[in-house]
Amino acid sequence: MNDYSLITLEILAVIVGLGALMVDLWIPASARRALGYGTAAALGCLLAFAAGSLSPQAGLGFHNTFVVDDLARYFKTFFLFGAFVVVLMTVDFAPKIGSGLSEFYALVCFALVGMLFAASANDLVMLFVSLELITVTFYVLNSFQRGRIASLEAGIKYLILGAVASGFMVFGIALVFGSANSTNFGVIASRQAELAHSTVFLTGLLLVLVGLGFKIAAFPFQAWAPDVYQGSPAPATAFLAVGSKAAGFVLLVRLVTQAVPQIAAEWNRLLVVMAAGTIAYGSLCALPQRNLKRLMGYSSIANAGYLLLGVVAMSTSGSTAVLYYLGGYFFTVLAAFTVICAIAEHVEGDDIANLAGLGQRSPFLAAALSIAFVSLAGIPPMVGFFGKVLLLRAVFEGAAAHPSFYLLIAVAVVGVVLSLYYYFGVIRSIYWGANPSSLAPISTSLGTKVALAACIGGIVFLGVAPSSLLKIADQAVQPKSATAAAQHAAAH
Amino acid sequence: MPQFTDLLFFAFAGMALLFGFLTVANPVSRNPVTSAMFLVLTIISLAGLYLLLHAFFLAAVQVLVYAGAVMVLFLFVIMLLDIKEEERRRLKTFTVGVGSVAVAALLGILTVSALSAKPGSPAGQTRLAVGDTAELGKVLFNHWLLPFEILSVLLLVAMVGVILLSKKDLK
Repeated sequence: MNDYSLITLEILAVIVGLGALMVDLWIPASARRALGYGTAAALGCLLAFAAGSLSPQAGLGFHNTFVVDDLARYFKTFFLFGAFVVVLMTVDFAPKIGSGLSEFYALVCFALVGMLFAASANDLVMLFVSLELITVTFYVLNSFQRGRIASLEAGIKYLILGAVASGFMVFGIALVFGSANSTNFGVIASRQAELAHSTVFLTGLLLVLVGLGFKIAAFPFQAWAPDVYQGSPAPATAFLAVGSKAAGFVLLVRLVTQAVPQIAAEWNRLLVVMAAGTIAYGSLCALPQRNLKRLMGYSSIANAGYLLLGVVAMSTSGSTAVLYYLGGYFFTVLAAFTVICAIAEHVEGDDIANLAGLGQRSPFLAAALSIAFVSLAGIPPMVGFFGKVLLLRAVFEGAAAHPSFYLLIAVAVVGVVLSLYYYFGVIRSIYWGANPSSLAPISTSLGTKVALAACIGGIVFLGVAPSSLLKIADQAVQPKSATAAAQHAAAH
Repeated sequence: MPQFTDLLFFAFAGMALLFGFLTVANPVSRNPVTSAMFLVLTIISLAGLYLLLHAFFLAAVQVLVYAGAVMVLFLFVIMLLDIKEEERRRLKTFTVGVGSVAVAALLGILTVSALSAKPGSPAGQTRLAVGDTAELGKVLFNHWLLPFEILSVLLLVAMVGVILLSKKDLK
């Protein structure tokens, strides 16, 4: 029994991707800009479709491998928003990409398809297949600027390390299947008590975590992030930073809270070490950075650490905090990268020092970038502040039972303080940077304005009125849907 | 009293491990063509393991597609590259050291978990006769239909990617 209405969004996203690929054959080269706006418009319609009354009905389908619940819907909306903004920022970045622009849009859509499926994966096979779709697409997107050695280096590094991580993951899935005789999250959840004593199962689960750790760039699987972030074309980096990371987190949250909650609770020491290591590594290494995209790479590692705080807490408030923080992270990082793309033509190189004079050249872009970094640094009233408070509170609630959580909170607070230094270094360079190379004004295109308005609106609105998103996030992680799914699966 | 299939399992598994090791760390030759040939033997040993699991179709496909088509492609690529350069390159002691530690740690974890597994526990519920083409087709296009279709998108992405990254720069 296959209910195809469940995968309407995914099918439509594939059609948009194929459309971008095919339409290119019939339109003149001069209309490439229109193609970008057309793809963005199509994704915008999908976004409205997903967020509106036509959102897919909740339910399990395809032999319980695919689930649509509030958690899946929450992430699907953000993935669509991410793809929408990434396509818009690519329009301004197009001259740097050169040939193959329509393929770039198509690949962004196909990566989006992988993310949409990942949000709904209820089976380790689905998890693996959707992650592979995302990863393989990014192998191509990262090395898209073939003329730049840095871009090729990013592609090769991501390819080799990604392949190793996939190898670990598929081996882990094989061990899980060997001991549990099923790859379905529901079946695994219903047999947790007996599986918790199987060393083979636990080893398999550990290897699956290695694969997910690579996706979210968590310590000690973070080594690829800085080089890949720096070398890849800026729109690809942006989608990697928000989409790929969020896909890793939705799978991690689903696996940890729905498939193996009891085992994950026993593993909290492992997760504490991972979270603390990730925050410490990301924050400390970001301090001496002079390259903006490389700084975003280390910042992305540190943020993976903050997000892991919510996973470590192993509570609904922890999961809510992860969802809320990721929502804010989408707006913030996309805003930063939209500005990076918009100034790519006018500012030579990605060095932070080259941002000097941006405050005079384009007050709008300078303000947008500053708001993004203020939010990343966790200053009220931006969304980043409230997200970090929620994450820390979730860990604090569990600290009575686990004394090691206090240490984790201390590491996180130090990380936040360090982040003030490197984020404000960027803002200082924007407004008070010395020796600006040029003072010619930078004009912003309509697409950039739309994207930035949406992102900045999100950052400020969610910071001032967090309860709107918080309510949705809270509903998405309520265990009721999970147990219903598990019972449903067990009955089959 | 070990059965004949058990002996075959150990033979194929041992061969797969030995040839796999020789693919990546051949003490005699560092010629990539030799490595590719050992990879062919590894793949054939794995096909033997599939046979023992009653996955006849998979075993045949493994030999036809991987040992045949894919490896021929590998050999073409290797021969287009400079083989001598690979042979000249020296290994760094640090890399080998760190790699050995990582491999040893992983091997330790896997050995412990393999030794703790009790044959006949849940994994022992063998489901026979899933290996012929009719059964495989039914499973693939019923239960695993969705992952199968996602893989078709993945193959499209791979094709687009290869063409993009290898074509001449078009203006």
